[in-house]
Amino acid sequence: MSEFLEFHDVSKRFGTIHAVSDVTLEIRKGEVFSLLGPSGCGKTTMLRLAAGFERPDKGRILLDGRDITDLPPNKRQVNTIFQSYALFPHMTVRENIAFGLRVAKRPKPEIDSEVERMLHLIRMTDQADKKPDLLSGGQKQRVAIARALINKPQVLLLDEPLAALDLKLRQRMLIELDMIHDEVGITFLYVTHDQGEAMGLSDRIAVMESGRIEQVGTPVEIYEAPRTSFVAAFIGDTNFLEGEVSGLEDGEYSRLEIAGVPGIICFNDKSIRPGNPVFLSIRPEKVHISRDKPQEERLRNMMPAVVEDVIYLGSTTKYWVRAGELRVQVLRQHSRFFLDERPIRWNDPVWVWWHGDDGFMLERYREVDEDLLAIPPRKVGESDGGNGKS
Amino acid sequence: MKADTRKKLQEALVSSPSLLWLGLFFLFPTLLVFVLALRPANPYGGIGQGWTLENLRRLADPSYLEVARRTLEISLVTTVICLLLAVPIGYYLARVSLKWRNLFLMLIIIPFWTNFLIRVFAWKVLLHPEGPIKHILVFLGLVGPQTSLLYNAGAVVLVSVYTFLPFTILPIYAAADKFDFQLLEAARDLGARKFQAFRRIFLPGIRRGLFTAILFVFIPALGSYVIPDIVGGPGGELIGNKIAQRVFVDRNLPLASAISAVLILSVLAPLAAVLFLQRKDERPEIL
Amino acid sequence: MKRSRLPLLVTIVVLFFLYLPIIILVVNSFNASRFGTGWQGFSMRWYARLLHEPEIWRAARNSLTIALGATVLSVVFGTTAAVALHRFARSRLQRFHYGLVYTPLVVPEILMGISLLMAFAAAGVRLGLGTIFLAHVTFCVSFVAMTVLARLQDFDFAVIEAAQDLGAGWGTTLRKVLLPLIAPGILAGALLAFTLSIDDFVITFFVAGPGSTTLPIRIYSMIKYGSPPLINALSTILLTVTFTAVAASQRISRSKG
Repeated sequence: MSEFLEFHDVSKRFGTIHAVSDVTLEIRKGEVFSLLGPSGCGKTTMLRLAAGFERPDKGRILLDGRDITDLPPNKRQVNTIFQSYALFPHMTVRENIAFGLRVAKRPKPEIDSEVERMLHLIRMTDQADKKPDLLSGGQKQRVAIARALINKPQVLLLDEPLAALDLKLRQRMLIELDMIHDEVGITFLYVTHDQGEAMGLSDRIAVMESGRIEQVGTPVEIYEAPRTSFVAAFIGDTNFLEGEVSGLEDGEYSRLEIAGVPGIICFNDKSIRPGNPVFLSIRPEKVHISRDKPQEERLRNMMPAVVEDVIYLGSTTKYWVRAGELRVQVLRQHSRFFLDERPIRWNDPVWVWWHGDDGFMLERYREVDEDLLAIPPRKVGESDGGNGKS
Repeated sequence: MKADTRKKLQEALVSSPSLLWLGLFFLFPTLLVFVLALRPANPYGGIGQGWTLENLRRLADPSYLEVARRTLEISLVTTVICLLLAVPIGYYLARVSLKWRNLFLMLIIIPFWTNFLIRVFAWKVLLHPEGPIKHILVFLGLVGPQTSLLYNAGAVVLVSVYTFLPFTILPIYAAADKFDFQLLEAARDLGARKFQAFRRIFLPGIRRGLFTAILFVFIPALGSYVIPDIVGGPGGELIGNKIAQRVFVDRNLPLASAISAVLILSVLAPLAAVLFLQRKDERPEIL
Repeated sequence: MKRSRLPLLVTIVVLFFLYLPIIILVVNSFNASRFGTGWQGFSMRWYARLLHEPEIWRAARNSLTIALGATVLSVVFGTTAAVALHRFARSRLQRFHYGLVYTPLVVPEILMGISLLMAFAAAGVRLGLGTIFLAHVTFCVSFVAMTVLARLQDFDFAVIEAAQDLGAGWGTTLRKVLLPLIAPGILAGALLAFTLSIDDFVITFFVAGPGSTTLPIRIYSMIKYGSPPLINALSTILLTVTFTAVAASQRISRSKG
């Protein structure tokens, strides 16, 4: 796999807003690459830069080795799936799909056969002569895809293509997109704010915020080893525990003191030294909870706690427990028939524990990122909301 | 059933004032024109008794045919010029920021607030042989000192375009405002050059506005009276002038009716065509 | 996407084209020269002369009276028409109604003028200010109806139902809910009708009797047979009046929201 679509030091400003700042990115041929981030992070601008609808103020964009920075959109071998699909309302499905080839003045027999092939690919041969206003959301999207793919672009740019669909349809279309990618094999550059889509579809993800790239990696890397508190909070849920490195342990591990609880072990891959403040991020599903005290083990962090909130979600339950000054969120999966157990309730005394390998220390922490969490951690001293359900 | 008839009664009640008034003072007189075309004139300048085809026979006279041809030609030319100017303007207004847009729209509408006669008169002054424009053009060597800018078909077209242009700009702008410009991006993304996108995507996209614009230029232009009267001269006479001449000079009301009947028919044709084309696009809206 | 400069250019050229005659007119109204072909110094004499033209004042008075009356009547008919068209939208009667209201907007004025003239002549009605008044109401109704209709289409009819649900009878609902909400539309329509009536020439010309003049008719005869500088001065005055009136109405309608 080689670098196929490259951004070198690209910046784009709109008035006083820095939409994209010094972004360097390399997308490999044939991969599904997602730009993931909240609204306003610059991901859509990146897409438009790739498509040619915006010119960067600084930097170059290369496609397959060729510099396309100054090429207008109609001369680039990339095609875009717009969020609103942008199907031409006065043309039928067939005419929409044929548009790119018509404009390129391909011979009629070629156009006809290619259009039929596309219609077959998206399974809409029966609706070929309908106008877009008679189509459902999913159908419109398929037409948009066919209209783009028929031109055999080198990269397909997708701008939040599933945003307008409802949940079930979104899940189905995600699978379809995956299938189409497998069949056709071209490079996808996919923009979304929905981490589920990004994680489910992508080979690699770039998490963006405020015009910059926070982290690039595979979905697993992004989830299990976030580099900044933004990534940790934006993807999934996590606990942010504030403390200090109190010493080293066994080379690769550090001892942390967090909120008065000493001796918490954590894998230290960032060489943070003793005495430095640190934020421990541990994902709720990595924390275990039970009424009985667990076995003590070498790298196991465990502490007694009291249950403060419980939310039953069907396949899982979320607990918020308090251990001294620490408040920890726990996610527990019900792998056995739940009604057989005696459920853990409010104010029950419990034990929580996690393995030292399962947390990560953050170099860059911002309090504002906590707002990204589904339910932000409450500080010690704040009143109980009591919003738990049993 | 009761609620249904009550509703129908309500509807009739609310609709009746306007229906009655317009029926009496618009529909009925229009139909009357066709009837009176078949009557002779009486010597006192009124309408005579009995029926005759004399008026229709007179219409076949070559001078009338010439005027009709000229009217059609001038109306078409005016319409085309107005469209060629209004489409770029409508496009520009729909894309520019709100602040500028309101300013430009206001600037375009303001001349409309002035009296129509006065504006035509202003052009008469401007195009006058001793007037400023003539001086400039002679100075630039574009016309000879003998050419008259006034009192010909060209002057009629110029002033007609001037008069009808705002009526073309507004509906086209309204349609362009509703147009999804991302469609143009999609077209470019798929390989179309700017002009191709404009022709294949933008123009069809605003076709409702185009139809309305054509309606608001072509039809009034066919019935032009004041403009040819003030700046047209004998070489720029249109059907409207002929009608007026029959009424005020000859006092021949039935003949004027006959000419008017022909004008009504020739107005109904494009009107019906446009309405038909609009209905083909499913929902007929006001614009 | 780089934008072509062409549309902006066309817009500017057209704007210049639109204002040129008006500017010349206003400038010339202060021109001391009789023929307006060369500038002979600033002068207000034409305005002074205007004050001594009784014909013009009589015509202005006629125009005003007719305009006021026609506005009132056409607002009533136009508003009821708009309400009917909006409320009972799909019925066959309304489709005919819509055609009847819409057509006067697109037919050339001369056709309306001539058909009304024929109707009055056939009925033996004497031409005069009365016939002018009837004609003006006729063409104003359509404009008012369309203006109010446009406003109604932004109007959420559920508000009426809410009022009735809360116990208001038809009279109260009408007065306290419907009319206040469509009042801006009615006002806009009224203003439009007033302007059109004051300004109308062609239709008025055909249905006016020998003794009755309105301002536009007077202006027309001045253009054909009279003194150009006086027209310039009169035009400038009219321009200022209309301008202020419409600007005021825009401010009112904008503040009302």
